[in-house]
Amino acid sequence: MKIAEFNDVHRAYGRGKDVLAGVDFSLEAGQIVALLGKNGAGKTTLLRIAMGLLETQRGSVRIFGLDPRKDAVEVKRRIGYVAEDQILPGFLRVSEVLELHRSLFPTWDDELARRLAERFDLPARPKVKTLSKGQARQVALLCAVAPRPELLILDEPAGGLDPAARREFLETSIRLLNEAGTTILFSSHYMSDVERMADRVVMIHDGRVLIDNELDALRESYSLALLNGGAHVDQEKLLALDGCFAVRERAGSLHAIFQLDPQESEAVLERELGAVDVRATRIALEEMFIELLGGTVPSGGKRGEVRPS
Amino acid sequence: MIQLHIVPGDELPIYRQIMRQVTDAVAGGRLRTGEKLPSQRELAEQLVVSPLTVKKAYDELERQGLISTQRGRGTFVSTAERPIDPELQRERLHGAVRRLLSQAHLANIELDVVVALLHEVDEELRAERARRAELGNDSTP
Repeated sequence: MKIAEFNDVHRAYGRGKDVLAGVDFSLEAGQIVALLGKNGAGKTTLLRIAMGLLETQRGSVRIFGLDPRKDAVEVKRRIGYVAEDQILPGFLRVSEVLELHRSLFPTWDDELARRLAERFDLPARPKVKTLSKGQARQVALLCAVAPRPELLILDEPAGGLDPAARREFLETSIRLLNEAGTTILFSSHYMSDVERMADRVVMIHDGRVLIDNELDALRESYSLALLNGGAHVDQEKLLALDGCFAVRERAGSLHAIFQLDPQESEAVLERELGAVDVRATRIALEEMFIELLGGTVPSGGKRGEVRPS
Repeated sequence: MIQLHIVPGDELPIYRQIMRQVTDAVAGGRLRTGEKLPSQRELAEQLVVSPLTVKKAYDELERQGLISTQRGRGTFVSTAERPIDPELQRERLHGAVRRLLSQAHLANIELDVVVALLHEVDEELRAERARRAELGNDSTP
């Protein structure tokens, strides 16, 4: 079942250029999808559009088959959302914030809320403004999760948290997944967290979806080769090779990403460019992010190939 | 119960890391036939990875016949004895050896020096294992 569908989503701010220039992807029930992209790529914009807080200027968005602008109340009731800069009313006590959310969400699960508060070791009495950043985010997460939403949208859930608080946050999310099997769409700059949490990755670049694939498939189907630039090898020649997906120039060397096994990449380089002694390796998500979003990616055709069939 | 350990950002995706560790533990006798594995939920929480990732690893291991899940009882190492296919073991080592030899080549180190080093490191590891075994025996009354 499709939980969310984004079709040709466009959004610009003011008269600026489109931040989102035709985003297409969808979310199946039970999936945990990481939304990746550089700062300013439009991740937050997309998540806000999903929540109905912003309108798409072209194309369409469906959440649970509904229009998040027209059916705003129902959509919001079924989504748990933690914004990047979640602002909770600072003058309220923690217990009052929880009570407020409890009164707004008919599906609020008291038992779950109690357990989470206990696990986070959240005090009830202090005012929200006196909490640490980590604690404030834990309150926001608790409020998003306790109504047992069908879809959880988390914008940089670990932003600004120290490593211990981040791990605590991840552990809680995993426990929740175990218990409820919630569908999750989250953005993050922590690639190790993404590797732990996500089963699918959607990478946004230049306003469009650059990569949309299962995390494991992504990890197993790409490799990276480092070459010296020179008369025989340049960016264009590399990009023209079969299986070459992106090239980046860095401090005089060329970083080529292939959508091939390491050994196949080496074979192509040797056969086509006579480049012997080049080593290709598998790459983790962090390097893939840097190589793809920091370099030259062929436009148009090749993009389509990485979508799951 | 067996302790698994994963590294995000490793060359292998996480579900493959889980699969490999279980496979190695069975082949190395650290996991015996009939022994119970952590449940998928437990393992997901222990390793702090997505339950779907653990499910994928267990499904794949089950498909290979290495483990089996009995409803309501848990997941166990299958009764079928299953040493790792020697061909597969060779294939796995192939990558590591390839890396080693490329590195040696780049540093202009001859093959016999590498072979001598292999023997040397093997001695070291044997000595360490023997020491550990001795310690283990000492601690039991």
